[in-house]
Parts: sequence; C-alpha cells; structure tokens
Amino acid sequence: MSASAVGVSFRPGELEVRPDGTGNQLGSRCSACGAHFFPVREACSGCLSDQLETVRFSTEGTLYTFSIVRQSTPAFEVPYALGYVDFPEGVRIMGQISGIDLDEIKIGMPMVLSLEPFGEDEEGNPLTGYRFRPAEGN
Amino acid sequence: MTRFGKHPDSDAADLGAEALHGAVADAGIDPRLIEAAYVGHVFQGMVTGQRVLAQVGLAGLPLANVENACSSGATAIREASLAIRAGEHDVVIAIGTEHLTSKFRGALTPDPSDPEAAVGATMPSVYAMRARRYMEEFGMTREQLALIPVKNKSNAARNPLAHFRKEITVEDVLESRPIADPLRLHDCSPVTDGAAAVILMSDKAAKQHSNGRAVKLAASALRTGTVDVEPASMTFEPLTWATAQDAYERAGIGPEEVDFAEVHDCFSIAEVLRVEGLGLFKQGDYPSAVERGDANIEGRLPINPSGGLIGKGHPLGGTGVAQVVEIVRQLRGESGDRQIEGPRVGLAHCRGGKAVGIEGAACTVQILVR
Repeated sequence: MSASAVGVSFRPGELEVRPDGTGNQLGSRCSACGAHFFPVREACSGCLSDQLETVRFSTEGTLYTFSIVRQSTPAFEVPYALGYVDFPEGVRIMGQISGIDLDEIKIGMPMVLSLEPFGEDEEGNPLTGYRFRPAEGN
Repeated sequence: MTRFGKHPDSDAADLGAEALHGAVADAGIDPRLIEAAYVGHVFQGMVTGQRVLAQVGLAGLPLANVENACSSGATAIREASLAIRAGEHDVVIAIGTEHLTSKFRGALTPDPSDPEAAVGATMPSVYAMRARRYMEEFGMTREQLALIPVKNKSNAARNPLAHFRKEITVEDVLESRPIADPLRLHDCSPVTDGAAAVILMSDKAAKQHSNGRAVKLAASALRTGTVDVEPASMTFEPLTWATAQDAYERAGIGPEEVDFAEVHDCFSIAEVLRVEGLGLFKQGDYPSAVERGDANIEGRLPINPSGGLIGKGHPLGGTGVAQVVEIVRQLRGESGDRQIEGPRVGLAHCRGGKAVGIEGAACTVQILVR
C-alpha cells in the first residue's frame, strides 16, 4: 500500500496507523503492576495506580469466540464475522474477521491484525480501521 | 403492570400512569399516601417520570428518574427501598416504563462511542459469541439451547399480560431467522412496550395501610462490572455472582432456599449464564436441567414462570419492575394458570448495558419472601 493510499485511523486513540501502512492497537500498561488494558485507561483497576503508559499491542493473537452477524445497523453490511481475539499482553479485543470463508472460522485459530479501509469521515476521506484475519499458513 | 406488547396509541407516560393506577388499586391505598417516586426508563428522554406523575395528578413529590440500561427499573426499586431504609419515607412507588417500538427496530446496539460498537457489535452478536464459547466448553447442543425459548414462550402463553401468547417448538426456534450465529430470532427477546409499578412501604406503614397481601423485600442488591485486569471467561458471570452474594448475605437466604426465579433472559444463552452465575445451578449443568424439565413451572426450580424477557417481552425500563410484580403475584398465589405450588422465596435478576472492557454495566438481584 503506498503512503498516499493510507487513510487516517478511524479511531486514533485505539488504532495507530503509520504512513507506511503498518499500525498497532493502542492501550494502557500499568507501570506499577504490569496489567494491560484496552482501550486506554486513566487508572489501573487492578492496583488503582495512575502511572499508566500508552503501549502498542502485539499483532498476533488467538480467536476466543466469534459470531456471524446477520442483522446489524445500517452502518454495517451483513453478513460479517465478529470475534474476540486474545493477545499475549492479556487483553481481549473485538474486531471483524476477514480473509476467510465465514463457515471455516474456528475457535482457537491464530489471528493477526489487519489494517483495512473502514468507512469514511464526514468529508468523504477514506478511514483505516482494523480487522483480524487468520495467520499465514493456517 | 400493563399488558406487554406493541402499544402504537400510547407513550411511556401513558403506560407508566396505567401501571401506577394498577399498583395503587392492588395495594388498596389512597394514592396521596405516596411520598416519593423513582422511575426507571432508558430511551424515553428527560423527565419521563414527571410526565407519568403529571398524568395522574400527583404533583410535588420528590422524584428521580433512573437509568441503568436494562436494570433501570430494578435500580428504581432499589433506590425506593434505600429511601425507606434510610428512614426518609414510608411509602414510595417504583415505576419502570418504556415505549420501545417508537425508538428502536431490530437489534439494539451499544452507545456508538463504544469501541466495540464502532467495529460492528450488536447486543445479539455479543451473546451469540458467549453462546458459541459455552457450546465449545460445555458441549451444549443447539437443540438444548432451543429448549429455553420453548419453555419461556410456553410460560408466556399462560400469562395474559405477555407479549407472546403462542407456544413454539424446537423446530420453530431452529428454523427462525438467523440473527447472529448461533442465535436465531426465537432466541432473542422482542422489542416491547410496557410498564410496571410496585409500592414499597416501611414496616410501620405496612402494618397501618397494607391490605394483608404485602410480601417482604428481603434484599435489593446492585453492582456495576469491574474493569477486567485479565480477560474474563465469557461463560460465567462474576458480576451476577458477586451481586447475588450481596443479596444472599443481606437476606440471610442462600441459593438452595430459592423456590423460583425471574432472570434476565434477554437471549436464550443469557438464561444459562444467569442461573449459573446466581448459583442456582452448577456451571455447565443448566442445559441438561432444562432438558429434564427442572426449570418448568412444575419443575424443581422454575425459571421465568412469567415467560421471561423472551416470552413476556422486554420493555427495558419496565422489565425489572415487572419481574418483581411476577414474584409478588406468585408468592401470593395469584398467578392463575402458571401458579407455582406454594413458593416462599423468589429471586429477581437483571443485568444490562455494555461498555468495553467491563464485564457488565449494571446488575441487580432482589429477593422476596412471603
């Protein structure tokens, strides 16, 4: 993807999109106890410390569960797959699933973060969001 | 309470007023005895409670509108009970009302600011994912899950105030429109209009004014979900468990003493997670218990004899109050065709709302004793 084709992150506080088209999901890490949170928090609910730093999460995780959504709001074209992916930092993040037939998705599949076009802003500029797709060779 | 269903010719204030009149008539009191009001609703806009009271000519009372998603009505009851326990009031009305058909069609979604709503989460899809995981972990079959709407709609068919009055079969469930796999239309509670009201009294006021039919509210517990430090299991509900423990402790009653329960079955899988979270059934056991008939009105531990949210309907703000109305009527032996034999202890459970990273927004457990 060329730099000019990279849209702005659909939610900059939760998804960092760099000019080269790579990116990471953002969250918080507690400097006191090491707990991780998605999205960014102001204080740790484990130890109540407010010493939280914003961190980039890993891009590889495991599918915890999923559903094929067949009725949704007008903003989303159905059907689409939605899943929760567990990441090594100890966070579970929901996202749509792409790159696989809907009837081949299985709990426990290794998944990777995938930056993809995700709607437009109010002025019609393309936005970049995230989906999860099965890891290569899976 | 009002009939639950579609009420195209009325609004939340009309429904709330009808429920209020019903509660006052049932208590047999002069409505001017009511000292304060708490009114739960979700999508009805500002000061809906005041519009209800204006409708019936009760002006000047202290009144608070209460919003806690699907636990709004139950939270109104809890606030009313706290006002009485605090010694501030002796007679308080709690009302829950919702005219949902004028506000929503199809699947409810979390607030659009929520990061999960932004990627396409709907309420059915979140429960569908929990159902999928529960099936994987505990071997529940799709047919077993279908027995829950079959049971609840059969109970609703015996409830004149229910939204649905028609029995269904497992095949009807499995052939209904897919909403979010593995959930289908019959697994989901409907978009419903309705209202319910209850009058709470201090012991002193109950002695003076009650017509002898009052039942005791032994506990009314409320919690909000904690932020997950580790991803929580989605097949068990620590929030329901913790709220239930508060209620059991306050009431001095354990789960083994509960004779029946109204639980928040917004979806078929939700009933499984709720009764197990409440400690009424062991984790993983409920699907086979339903198969054996244990949760039927004639069973060992009836669950959702009113028809539940799936059968009776789910007017968000009205739901928690309607559960308590059902429990009161069951405890008094006034439930007609769906009467449970001689219950002493009934439990009502609500939970509602979704915010990313917390297990659930608001959960209530109330225990009533004859």
